[in-house]
Amino acid sequence: MSRLVRAVAFACLAASSLAAAPAFAAEAASSAAAPAPAATPALIERGRAAFTHRCSMCHREGGTGTFILARRLGAEQSLIEKRTNLAPEYIRYVVRWGLVNMPRISRVELPDPDLEAVVAYLSAPRAGP
Amino acid sequence: MKLILPPGMSAAQFERALAAMARIVGNDWVLRTDADRETYLDQYAPGLEESHAPSAAIAPANVEQVQAVLRVANEHRLPLWPISRGKNFGYGGAAPRMPGTAMLDLGRMDRIIEVNEQLGYCIVEPGVGFFDLYEYLKERRIPLQMGIPGNGWGSVVGNALERGFSGMGDHSGNICGLELVLPTGELVRTGMGAMADGKAWPLFKHGFGPSWDQMIVQGNYAVVTKLCLWMRPADEASITIDVKLDKPEDLEWYVAATTPLRLRGVIDGLVRVTSYQASATVPTLRSEWYQGRDSIPEDVIGRIMQRFNVGWWNGPIRLQGYADVCEANLARVQSALARYSSKEFEVRRGPGDNQPGPSTYPLQMVNWYGGRGGHIGYSPVMPADPKLVQRQFERTRRRYQEFGLDYSGTFYIDGRAATNVNLILYSKDDAEQKERVRKLFLALIEDAKAEGYGEYRTHLSYMDDVAASYDFNGHALLKLNEKVKDTLDPNGILAPGRNGIWPQRYRAQRGRL
Repeated sequence: MSRLVRAVAFACLAASSLAAAPAFAAEAASSAAAPAPAATPALIERGRAAFTHRCSMCHREGGTGTFILARRLGAEQSLIEKRTNLAPEYIRYVVRWGLVNMPRISRVELPDPDLEAVVAYLSAPRAGP
Repeated sequence: MKLILPPGMSAAQFERALAAMARIVGNDWVLRTDADRETYLDQYAPGLEESHAPSAAIAPANVEQVQAVLRVANEHRLPLWPISRGKNFGYGGAAPRMPGTAMLDLGRMDRIIEVNEQLGYCIVEPGVGFFDLYEYLKERRIPLQMGIPGNGWGSVVGNALERGFSGMGDHSGNICGLELVLPTGELVRTGMGAMADGKAWPLFKHGFGPSWDQMIVQGNYAVVTKLCLWMRPADEASITIDVKLDKPEDLEWYVAATTPLRLRGVIDGLVRVTSYQASATVPTLRSEWYQGRDSIPEDVIGRIMQRFNVGWWNGPIRLQGYADVCEANLARVQSALARYSSKEFEVRRGPGDNQPGPSTYPLQMVNWYGGRGGHIGYSPVMPADPKLVQRQFERTRRRYQEFGLDYSGTFYIDGRAATNVNLILYSKDDAEQKERVRKLFLALIEDAKAEGYGEYRTHLSYMDDVAASYDFNGHALLKLNEKVKDTLDPNGILAPGRNGIWPQRYRAQRGRL
């Protein structure tokens, strides 16, 4: 299966289900660990800060990621901080391998500990900006 | 992704080099998994991503580590490709020219060292992005302005070193002093920074003797670890004239009207004029307008112009400075436009600081064909002569039509020269279309060369082609560049092939993709 097909299949899965995709877990980023990290308030806050610093330029209101997600999945799925169906594996995968027009993000730009904090933030109940 | 080693390097040599690098930067900052390598590929690759695949990435934390990394690279003959933040989209992103080159990722060096409000400059490290600097200014209410390119995600340093520009002009022209690490590891400061305690480093460009800043721009002679950049004091007022030109042939008179104003400083910034297509590529998909595989036809162009209320050419002229001076300059601009057109262009007055901040919004234009998209730009520099500009546009548009691609062009008029940025959008998953893109690009290089125009900046895959078009006296400049390269970088470890400059060690790689 090509990376493109794999990524699109993964995207569809995550958009339609709360479940992570075990078949793809092994292919996700090297830091992958299936569950979300233990979500302490400090970790969630670190994740919110990392999201603001590294992700929000595209993934908040008016950002290009928000716009393209709205085009692909509908407005209700476009702001990822309001999503409740993003599995930890899926977040890790998309960050490191990119998705459609989203570039891949390196471990220099978003180190593994910050990625795990972002995962905790986006996986926290009722996460919001 | 399969590991590709540098040409001539064995797996054992590569392992020894990375082990030595890890002793400098730590194991965590030698990045070498499949995912790591993929994060540095060209996101918008017009050809095969593997043509510019890196072998690993090394991420130093400070200048001392950069020096040590370069010394070790010499020892092990490991070629390195320095990046600031790796967002050079359309020109290769983060990727290296030569496959197997390891990334030297400077993103961890992200300090804003100084912003001087009184004298109007900043000193920054390579990892500082436009968003970072913008937020820094806003949080501290520092009344300075920065030039921001279309992709605000990138590095202030990287953009200036690539000759990026915005409405405020050529960002490399604002460089005033660099801190460099030479390929062999020596630390150098240019200009007035060459003094041990030089107080005028960010203030006077040339120092004493030859000026090195522009030698470093777009080259592969050194790694830049600090950059001093001039900034513009905040303005009191601004006036925007919303110019919309109805017909393709209006470009000629518009250049005739505005060039003298730019030359005399009435318009204090680049005069930008962009074709209608820019209004559609970001907010809409091509399939909403047209399904054909040829260029968008005239009737569709008319519908796009109508829906977005734009002209065939569009270009707001921005006047900024003291309010009374803006009003006087407005009268000059309106008078010049009235000599050629009876149309009244809307005028908007505002504060001096009403420029939008950094954004990634324009990046969504790569979704034009749906799915995974990309873009490259062909950008020759030519005289700002009205007839020549009109001819350049018409010839270029015919080429787009010949290869069945949608024309999207912008001219940036800088008084004497015009830079013609031709945007080429494509689907990354349409091999036949990408082949047409390749043929178009090579045809545009040839056309421009025949007119005596050359590109100012290009994608990795075309660096050798563009360098070859600079051919005075048997490519004398390229020979000089490579003589300097071999002297400063005897083992050829720094950015081999960048802008067509190949070190002796890898010269056989020229033209290979």
